[in-house]
Amino acid sequence: MSAGPVVDVRSLHVRFGEVEAVAGVDLAAYAGQATGLLGRNGAGKSTTMRVLAGVVPPTAGTVVVAGHDVRTRALEVKRAVGYCPDVGGLVPRATPWEHLQLAARLRRLRGWEPRARDLLERFELGDVAHRVTTGFSHGMGRRLSVVLAALHEPEVLLLDEPFDGVDPIGVEATFEVISDARSRGACVLVSTHLRELAVEVCTSVLVLRGGAQVASATAREMAGEEGARAYRSLLD
Amino acid sequence: MPTAASWTELRRSVDDVGALLAFRASAVRRPSAFRLAALAFVVLTAAAATLPALLPGAGSGSGYALDALLLLPTAMLGLLVLAVASAVASGGGRELLAREHAVAFPVSPTTDHLGALLLAPLNIAWVLQTWVLLAAAAYGVPRGQLAPAQLGLLVWVAVATAVGQLVAWSVEAVRRTRHGVAVVRLAGAVVALAAVVLQVSGRIGTLLDELGATRWLVVSYVDGFGLRWLGAMALELTLLVAAVALGALPAHLAARRAARDELRVESGRHPARRLPRTALGVLVRTDRGSVWRAVPMRRGIAVLAVGPGLVALAGDLDWAQLTILPGLVASGGALLFGVNAWCLDERGGLWRESLPVGAGTVFAARAWVLAEFLLIASAITLALAALRAGAPGPAELTALLCTWLVVVLQVVSAAMRWSWKRPFAVDLRSARATPAPPVVMVACSVELAVVTTLTGLVFSGLARVPHAEVSLLVAAPFVVWSLVRLLHARDRWVDPVVRARVVTTVAG
Repeated sequence: MSAGPVVDVRSLHVRFGEVEAVAGVDLAAYAGQATGLLGRNGAGKSTTMRVLAGVVPPTAGTVVVAGHDVRTRALEVKRAVGYCPDVGGLVPRATPWEHLQLAARLRRLRGWEPRARDLLERFELGDVAHRVTTGFSHGMGRRLSVVLAALHEPEVLLLDEPFDGVDPIGVEATFEVISDARSRGACVLVSTHLRELAVEVCTSVLVLRGGAQVASATAREMAGEEGARAYRSLLD
Repeated sequence: MPTAASWTELRRSVDDVGALLAFRASAVRRPSAFRLAALAFVVLTAAAATLPALLPGAGSGSGYALDALLLLPTAMLGLLVLAVASAVASGGGRELLAREHAVAFPVSPTTDHLGALLLAPLNIAWVLQTWVLLAAAAYGVPRGQLAPAQLGLLVWVAVATAVGQLVAWSVEAVRRTRHGVAVVRLAGAVVALAAVVLQVSGRIGTLLDELGATRWLVVSYVDGFGLRWLGAMALELTLLVAAVALGALPAHLAARRAARDELRVESGRHPARRLPRTALGVLVRTDRGSVWRAVPMRRGIAVLAVGPGLVALAGDLDWAQLTILPGLVASGGALLFGVNAWCLDERGGLWRESLPVGAGTVFAARAWVLAEFLLIASAITLALAALRAGAPGPAELTALLCTWLVVVLQVVSAAMRWSWKRPFAVDLRSARATPAPPVVMVACSVELAVVTTLTGLVFSGLARVPHAEVSLLVAAPFVVWSLVRLLHARDRWVDPVVRARVVTTVAG
């Protein structure tokens, strides 16, 4: 790989009071590649993603995203990333279109409406574009979160549990978004506990356990029954 | 289908309430502070019920003591009205366990009803009214009859609370029928109109005199321990048991029907509007939507804005007295969401935090939307109250405007401070939802009520000073102090570590 990593994480630690949510993660993710973060619940995947999105500051370690240190240049990091959080991620009494308008204004987007409509249609949310999200099902919420993360064609696309509770059409649409992002040279990170989907869409994977990184491998190595056995052994 | 009349159901519900209370108690963040607050409540209640009896002239049957005694029946009715309004506005009272968490457990409507009854006293208006009632009795009733009178009043407080709950569940059951929302709104308008007509025509006093039940109770209290007192207690206890038991029936009925207000909001459509030109503009618009589309906020603001206004209208308050109102309304308004302002985003806070915008701009938008919410509510109250107050003099008008500005700033700065200090994950979908646990709500409301009422009293005095500029001079340090505290709250929010804690907490 000639170019340097777009996401460069070294010895990341995140502590919430007495709890160490992330205890030493190293990660390098490259343009045009999709990296999967795998692990059980509480492994530190979502906290790592939140740090990469500029939402949670690191307690220790170095995190550089798109050339910006998240600790000192959080706003520039936020401009470079598109983030789909693990929980909800939607303002309850705003409509999808209002979410898109908010993102478009804060990201200074122009002529964004056709792409927004296209994404809503691809994720089958066109009919509910003007309905408040409070009444959305979990899957609808997940799909809209992916749309919001992808709207501005970010340099770094962070998808945290994008397949959780999503129907096959939503999964396919998410695959398309990831594929599109890779083909235009974006760096994609997908956090999930679903190994089968991760290996299908990612080029490499990182396995976390107890807040620390326990293995990194190519997606091919984690695929199939052998990959499943290897993954299972890493979780215990 | 279990029925409220079933003793098995009732026994099971009482057990469940115990379990839920234990669960809530285990989740209290600062148990020592909670115990201290509970002790303070008991001590203050005991003080209100006894200390006024030690004042000169207390229980003398003349002067202010006689006035206090004569007004006691009306004050008892006032507590009943307050209990009804409070429970109706909150859609059946507060929840012992939030709906989102309760879905996984077999919490029956009877349990819900009993839990709401237990939580009813965790409301500053209820607490203050009860203390006023006990204090008025302590001052007005002869000392020899104080014990029977206070016992009778305590049972009356319980009766009023239970009847309030019964009415609230009944209204909620009607509201959830096909045309229920319209019926309830119409009935509310008719009651408000009737109250205004009675007051304006000068017949409200006669009506209160004719409603002799509470007068009869007061007469029985001051008779001392005897047959008449026993009769009054028997009547009150019968009413209490009946109201508690009957309340379960409409609670079951309401639980079987869909909450139409909430469903309408959840399925609400809002056509696209033009994109605001600035980041602040779009943030304000988003936050406004979060506030004005929430059922608890809409109902709460209607009661808060109109209720005190109507009371002031009925009481024919003068301009100097109106200075108390903005503080009351602003304090109440902040309790609808302001004390945990970041909870408006709920789980959307994580996504919003990933957007490239300065944290200071986000803070400014939220503080502005809160201030605007409080200003609108208090403007409605003042407009109603001013209808009978005549034309104000320059000093009165200046004092009122200064109070309005000062108390809104005080409340906004306090709310934004609490919002970063003590964030909670809450779901504001339900009309019964509150932005913080009940005990925290009481603590916040006490602080807000004390500060804003004292401020209102200062400006009430200044309204009688014939120099308008005095109010401006006095308001200046208040404004500066509140702005400094608001800027301090902003500085804390801008700190990424603090912000991350707040956002991840409210996201749940």
